[in-house]
Amino acid sequence: MNNKENTDLAHRQHVKYFMRFLNILPSSLSSHDTTRVTIAYFSVAGLDVLGSIASISLDLRSRIIEWLYLLQVHPNKENGDMSTCGFQGSSTINIDLDSANSHYRCGHLAMTYTALCSLLALGDDLSRINRKAIINGVKALQTEEGNFSATLSGCESDMRFVYCAACISYILNDWSGFNIEKATEYIIKCIGYDNGIAQCPELESHGGTTYCALATLSLTNQLDKLSEQQVDRLRRWLVFRQVDGFQGRPNKPVDTCYSFWVGASLKMLDALHLTNYSSNRKYVYETQDCVVGGFSKWPDTCTDPMHTYLGLAGLSLIGVNGLLEIEPTLNITKRAYEHLKYLHEKWASEA
Amino acid sequence: MSDSGDSDVSWIFYKDRPEWSDLTPVPENDGPKPVVVIAHSEKFEDVYDYFRAILQNNEKSERALQLTKDAVELNPANYTVWQYRRDLLQALGTDLKSELDYVEAVIKQSPKNYQVWHHRRVLVEWLKDSSLELELTRDALLQDPKNYHAWQHRQWAIKTFGLFDKEMEFVDNLISEDVRNNSAWNQRYFVMNNHHGWTDMNVQKEICYTLEKIKFVKNNESAWNYLRGVLLHDKKGISGNTIVTSFCEELYLNKCRSPYLLAFLIDICEEAIKKEETNSLYNAQRALELCQSLATKYDKIRSKYWNFIGEKFRKYQKSENI
Repeated sequence: MNNKENTDLAHRQHVKYFMRFLNILPSSLSSHDTTRVTIAYFSVAGLDVLGSIASISLDLRSRIIEWLYLLQVHPNKENGDMSTCGFQGSSTINIDLDSANSHYRCGHLAMTYTALCSLLALGDDLSRINRKAIINGVKALQTEEGNFSATLSGCESDMRFVYCAACISYILNDWSGFNIEKATEYIIKCIGYDNGIAQCPELESHGGTTYCALATLSLTNQLDKLSEQQVDRLRRWLVFRQVDGFQGRPNKPVDTCYSFWVGASLKMLDALHLTNYSSNRKYVYETQDCVVGGFSKWPDTCTDPMHTYLGLAGLSLIGVNGLLEIEPTLNITKRAYEHLKYLHEKWASEA
Repeated sequence: MSDSGDSDVSWIFYKDRPEWSDLTPVPENDGPKPVVVIAHSEKFEDVYDYFRAILQNNEKSERALQLTKDAVELNPANYTVWQYRRDLLQALGTDLKSELDYVEAVIKQSPKNYQVWHHRRVLVEWLKDSSLELELTRDALLQDPKNYHAWQHRQWAIKTFGLFDKEMEFVDNLISEDVRNNSAWNQRYFVMNNHHGWTDMNVQKEICYTLEKIKFVKNNESAWNYLRGVLLHDKKGISGNTIVTSFCEELYLNKCRSPYLLAFLIDICEEAIKKEETNSLYNAQRALELCQSLATKYDKIRSKYWNFIGEKFRKYQKSENI
């Protein structure tokens, strides 16, 4: 179980942990049935940050890539409609539907974002991505308010999907489906009286949504829309989230994932170095399972792929040895990010 | 929610039900070599094989409505099932009041699931009846006073249907129960901002309320943050309200060294510097000293941050001396 004395990364165990998740999961995870792509992302990105992407055999690599592409929703064959385009999170509804109800088979922004990140980490060239269609799918999901719904078919809209839409547009290097001005307005409206940023206007400021908001502003080159005072105050709010590890809201318990969400937010505001790295590291290590691998949100609780990946990404931000550097906005490794830059150049030369 | 289907002995598979024999189940097509495979129970596979079949046929029937219930029970996060269920409700003209009861039961089992709260919201929009929403969210907040989903739904209902009347009473109770409940403080701001309004008198009232709470628990970031929020509506800023400044100075004299108090004093100094209204109490020198005491003694985990802020005041100090 957890070893409180431990101050080393159980590197080998974490590699095995992610490899297990890439293969087969117990039926107790049935409620994750529609979000399997995110599990693939946490595992692939986790192996990447561990510097172990090569642990994925060529055969497994191609299996993951083929499986992901099966989940891409293509334009409607009859009328060419692209509003449903994107990636599904699993093949649960991967069936042929006629025009009357084809909208049930639609992409989901979080799944499209994590599928693209997984493909990038695996070194795929995205040549089978229907870029134009996916951007149209993104466009169909922006609301009047400026935020985004997750899917075309009955879903809530909030800051999480603003972020996913921004990442997709950035990765595909096409902002024609994303109204930057409206999204920025929405983000500014979500800044609270305590200077943190919430999921929707007037809700409670939250570390995760603050990350989504800041990363979006960064990806859209809009960080300068925040005044100097807003940035100073937001830095304060973020720095105050540190207890030993980080909490997501004032007076809430510390949780491993905020070492990334808050850490990356501070990094984007050039202030991560003002936090206490050793307390942060110590807390995250307390949530590490050194025997079977994985991290949990709290010490001595169940590990899961999300907290494992975000724990590692949080440790990477503070320069822990043996981990690749993370690009804080897209939440992929610099290595994967370089690959993306190469693809952008390639697309530019082809255009 | 876990898929405990295999242990349910009385369960009859859809494939064994005569009334479903007209329908051919549609298996999941996960490709030739899938990854991240979930080893679903036989029940899960059976229910979803039939869900895919009704979806493909676009079948709008009572039995389909019943099937979506089973599908939701196995995975309440499946947004397509919920959407199809809503389309069925409309097509069949089902009594939406009973659907409210049903989704309330599901919310009680999965209070942190986005899809169930979304379903609730759509139903309330259709019915244009918000009479049960305050009670529903109150119950959820009794279980977990910081449940973000419940707060989001509550704010939406209050704003959409103008249910502000008794909200301050609700907030007061929550803050009395747990003065550190940041969600409740946020709701207080929401009610003030949208309902009572920030008249001068309300600003003073809220300041007094908050100072009482700070007196009670001094090291409470939520109350200090709220105080700043209220002072956004005071034309004299955070440095110009004498009730606030004398309260802070009294705390300080009484040896309170809460980082939130010291940070507040630093911000008063900064505002005074920016307004060119420094005096013997609020100036760069004092701010610098406060930063140093935070960095070395009272808030050591943020020592680098306070040293960084201190540097800013060192610069102010130099320009003051010029």
